[in-house]
Amino acid sequence: MNRSRSSHLRLLCLLIPIAMTTLGALRAEEVGERWGTEEREREFYPIVNVPLPKDTVIEAGAFAVLPDRRIAVGTRHGEIYLIDGVDAPKPTPSFHRFATGLDEIFGLVWKDRAFCVTQSCELTRVSDSNGDGVADRFETISDAWGYANYHEYAFGSKLDADGNQFVTLGLSESYYAHALNRGFIMKVAPDGKTTAFASGLRSPGGIGLDEHGTLFYVESQGPWNCSCSLKAVSQNSFHGHPASFEWYKYAPELGPVPELPKSETRIATEKYRVKQLVPYAVIFPYIRMGRSITAFSVNRTQGKFGPFENQIFLGDYTQSILMRATTEQVNGVWQGACYPFREGLSTGILNVEFTPGGKLLCGGTNRGWPVRGIKPFALERVEWSGKTPFEINRVTIEPDGFKVTFTKPVDQAVGSSTDSYVISAFTHPYHAGYGGPEIEQHQPGVKAVSLAEDGLSAKVVLEKLNQGFVYELDLASLRSRDKDELLHRNAFYTVNEIPSR
Amino acid sequence: MMPGTRLVRGVISFVALISALLIGKAPAEPGDPSLPGHHPLTQTQAGSLLISEMRCAACHSGVERGFIPEKTAPDLAGVGARISPEYLRRYLASPSSAHPGTTMPDVLVQQSEAERGRIAEALTHFLIAQSKTVFLVEAPEQIDLQQGKSLYHSVGCVACHGPKEALADAPQKPNRNDEDDDEEDKKLSAKKSVKPVAVSLGHVAAKYSAKSLSEFLFQPLRVRTSGRMPDMKLTPAESLAIAGYLIGEQTLAGNALVPEAPLVAKGKQLFQELNCAACHALPGTAAAPLIGSLRTANTTRGCLSKTSSRSPRFHLEDAQIQAMIASLREEPSADSDKLVAEKTLTVFHCIACHIRDDFGGVHETHNPFFGSSDLKLGDDGRIPPPLTLVGAKLQPAWMKKVLFDGESVRHYMATRMPQYGTTNLQHLPSVFARLDVMEGKEMKIPSPESRFESEREREKLFRAAGRELLGDKGLNCVACHNFNGKAAQGNQGIDLLTSYPRLQPGWFNSYLRNPGAFRPRTVMPTAWPNGVAAHKTILDGNTDSQIEAIWYYLSLGTSAADPSGIHGVSTKLTVDDQAKTYRGRSRVAGFRGIAVGLPEKLSYAFNAETGTLSAIWQGEFIGVNWSGQGSGDFNPASEPITLAQDVSFVTLADTNSPWPLLPVMTKEARTNPNPLYPKNVGYQFRGYYLGESSIPTFMYRSGTIEIEDRSVATGSAEQQQLKRVVQFDSPMQQTVWFRGLTGDISQESDRVFQSGRLRLTIPQTETKLRSLSEEPKRFELLLRLQLPQGKSTLEFLYEPIKK
Repeated sequence: MNRSRSSHLRLLCLLIPIAMTTLGALRAEEVGERWGTEEREREFYPIVNVPLPKDTVIEAGAFAVLPDRRIAVGTRHGEIYLIDGVDAPKPTPSFHRFATGLDEIFGLVWKDRAFCVTQSCELTRVSDSNGDGVADRFETISDAWGYANYHEYAFGSKLDADGNQFVTLGLSESYYAHALNRGFIMKVAPDGKTTAFASGLRSPGGIGLDEHGTLFYVESQGPWNCSCSLKAVSQNSFHGHPASFEWYKYAPELGPVPELPKSETRIATEKYRVKQLVPYAVIFPYIRMGRSITAFSVNRTQGKFGPFENQIFLGDYTQSILMRATTEQVNGVWQGACYPFREGLSTGILNVEFTPGGKLLCGGTNRGWPVRGIKPFALERVEWSGKTPFEINRVTIEPDGFKVTFTKPVDQAVGSSTDSYVISAFTHPYHAGYGGPEIEQHQPGVKAVSLAEDGLSAKVVLEKLNQGFVYELDLASLRSRDKDELLHRNAFYTVNEIPSR
Repeated sequence: MMPGTRLVRGVISFVALISALLIGKAPAEPGDPSLPGHHPLTQTQAGSLLISEMRCAACHSGVERGFIPEKTAPDLAGVGARISPEYLRRYLASPSSAHPGTTMPDVLVQQSEAERGRIAEALTHFLIAQSKTVFLVEAPEQIDLQQGKSLYHSVGCVACHGPKEALADAPQKPNRNDEDDDEEDKKLSAKKSVKPVAVSLGHVAAKYSAKSLSEFLFQPLRVRTSGRMPDMKLTPAESLAIAGYLIGEQTLAGNALVPEAPLVAKGKQLFQELNCAACHALPGTAAAPLIGSLRTANTTRGCLSKTSSRSPRFHLEDAQIQAMIASLREEPSADSDKLVAEKTLTVFHCIACHIRDDFGGVHETHNPFFGSSDLKLGDDGRIPPPLTLVGAKLQPAWMKKVLFDGESVRHYMATRMPQYGTTNLQHLPSVFARLDVMEGKEMKIPSPESRFESEREREKLFRAAGRELLGDKGLNCVACHNFNGKAAQGNQGIDLLTSYPRLQPGWFNSYLRNPGAFRPRTVMPTAWPNGVAAHKTILDGNTDSQIEAIWYYLSLGTSAADPSGIHGVSTKLTVDDQAKTYRGRSRVAGFRGIAVGLPEKLSYAFNAETGTLSAIWQGEFIGVNWSGQGSGDFNPASEPITLAQDVSFVTLADTNSPWPLLPVMTKEARTNPNPLYPKNVGYQFRGYYLGESSIPTFMYRSGTIEIEDRSVATGSAEQQQLKRVVQFDSPMQQTVWFRGLTGDISQESDRVFQSGRLRLTIPQTETKLRSLSEEPKRFELLLRLQLPQGKSTLEFLYEPIKK
């Protein structure tokens, strides 16, 4: 009894200042202020500037790791540089310009001694036939799409297990599908044969295989998308924006045109009416978790990057931040969570790639759109200092709530208290308008918490769990056994399906 | 130091010591001579710093350890590869003879000359055996000594090591009008009497090879972790250049020392016995237990005595000994924040470059070596910024970026801000933050998402006003400051977009009001003399509002439109002796456009979507738009001759069939009505390859015909021609039509046609000049090409006609 009373008192003391900071944070968030974690993050994940050669503009749009451990970077200026020595403790890498004169590179794959380069205009095989170290052959692999507006960006994936590559085709002016196949994902087979694969895109920011080898693409906030999100792609899937329905008549392989989605509905209900509609797997609540998220990489560094193995890492262009995401499949539908990771990068992040040394190379530019980072372009390396931060490692769903795993054991008393798990939920309208609010906000009660004996995971049982909602976990009052605060207090889980057991 | 000075100082110090002993307190004059540089420390404070620099606590108990990490001894793990064995021998036998000024004590005082030699020999063998690689004298490659000399005298080495030679071409210090400030002159002459920081490098040539020194200079903190020799952000090439310069004409013996097992064993034993491990950690060795407390030690004997034969001997100056004794006499107490800051700035020699309050600053004799790429910025452009109130000036996150991540915004300054290692300066940001508090004016920043309309109106007003004030119609800040990487027209001052993440608002506000109060010689003018706005129309000339508007505007970063006076610049691409091929959309080549610049200054555009040569121009190559959202669209650098962009090769059903044209989209009907064109008339682009002089050959297909299409420049400079050679590979004999020209076409001869500024010479073949319209007069020139099975070639000449 005594012990319980004192722990309550202690909790109260903890909660009051936390409640105050929460208010402060909320007010700041409205204008897209910072998480405020930058100074603490640097102890665990320092950012190292990768010096660029003088007078060289590298607005990184795509990366590829070569068999010889060099890293290739494709740029918005249409150049490919091969970087040697990016992993050195004090990096002073050499940059070799391999190719020039291409058109906005947003996809780079090394295959059969050549690059498969996704440019706005086409997918191109770029190779060096005379061995002088500079590309001299540029062979069209696929140009099976219209290109008639500068905003019609094309992003290319890495290869899937069968050697296919996927290209996302953004809409014209980010609203329309004036040119052929805009709003589609095209599948390019190893022989170059190109077919439409999925539809309903708006303004994609990247495409790739997630930690399970499943194809996901990155979508930006806008019409039919109230927040940015990761979306799971499958053959003939429709991803929410109907502009691309225009081109089904040229793509019989996609099957019948989906039902036209109704605006001002919910995706959780509309998916039953529009059979091809795939609900957004991981929603990144707008502003709190980025404003224009971009291409991702999966951490397969075998521990070199710290405790987040097999997780998705991605950046945000506007806020110059990095985030993590995890996915799982429930009842055949993909869903998952996103987590803050690192802020304070110097430019708008367009792409990230893990280096052979297990560091995360990030690059981009800040021109053209609002960006927090003040450098017109930069390459930066985020690396693990070897110190493990106290973080939410992963959130997965349970029939009656969530399982939360941590990077360090959680203090028994605080970690076992339901008060330490502040959970709220919201959904977005599914509508044609640009962006949209968080609606039907509510706080499902936390019925019970069971902290694992090792303190590394907790099962949180909720009064009620609803499909079609994003659950925000705010675990600010948790402490590790060694009395650390969480480096980031939040995680956001998108519930599309609830497992039965 | 002059011997006379030394004597005088000694006497003064002696008197000071006596009086200190008498009254039990050391004199509290700042700038104690026991430490070099214009530092603020009193004798006891300097003494306590010396105690940690000499690492007295490695052997003695009773030493308080403060915030500032002690100076550590070099890591000996790789010493055998780093240091010449010959030097190591000499140094171990008598450290201060081999390296005058070293902080390593002589621990062999009582030994005979011969015995010293034997001990040094054994220790050398032991130490060299620690390294996996050996010391190599040979310089790895040609070293640019001139670059080394120039780097040494510009990046900041001089601040702590002094100039290595009196440079005839030393950067000129800008003239000053010294008559104006007598007051300052007095301070200046007081400063002149202070000896500059000047850590000797005389031993370096005998100690290192160019290679090992360059490796040390590249990453000094790997060997010397305590950051007294900081990382100067050198590249490997720069490190090698400086190393080569410092070493000069080296005459080291080239023979590597092969460690002999008995000597290694003896050396290890000696290393232990002499308690080297107290300062140098090596695997398998351990430091001896601490000996008597320094607080109670008899300072007339032991290390501080110059005659003791039993203690390690530090070759200290009298002033240093007195300072250390004075410090030991003081009751130990925790250093205040102020003192921690002062000690840190002194011990890391920050004061050799920076002023803080009334101490520190570049020494007169070093001043000419602080250079700038933009001399118009005056001293602000070449002398590192003052650290007065730096804790109130920089945002905490930015200060860490500067101290620990090598961040730097003064690209024009030749001297680099060194990196001292995170662990060594970890304490400093919070110390500055607590010390430097500034009563800045609160800025009322508007919120665009406010509930109140008046506030939202104010936001719009401030956004516009801030933009106007910064631009060339307002205060024209962008004339001397870069803006988001775009160079200013005049001086190349700090990028204005760094202001918001870098500076604290209170400091920014005060600084704008009166830059001269922060930097007496700054070239930055004030726009609000005596608090009165010089610009009267913007925001009614209200000083507070104008400064708030500027701060608010800067807070918007790239969300706000660029100020007037910053122009989106088109990047000029030029062609040298190799052709240049550039893809991008263009009005002259469509969205799948390709520009080709030939070395002869003749360029053309190719529309890859239709397989059409669509423009020709002479002179410079192209301008590319990479500003704003610009995704690299190009424009010919001179006025081009343009051609139709419809598909070029088609199989026509009959001679009257209309030529298949590019689909037309209108504002009303923007969706492509014929989205498969021109693939639906058999065209497919297949890419290009670069051949001799990087000239591209385009590859495409028309029906079953594979086409390779290459153009080169021919003719004289006065009469340039583009020679286009088209090679066909057809699986069978077949007919294909080529559209050569459209527009007002006149025929000059059988094979020569002219349209506008272009003369086209075609191969011998059947032609058809079809009228498209009477008013205006428009024709199209069609060529019926009879292709044989297999390969065939046709040649076209495009000649721009001079106006």
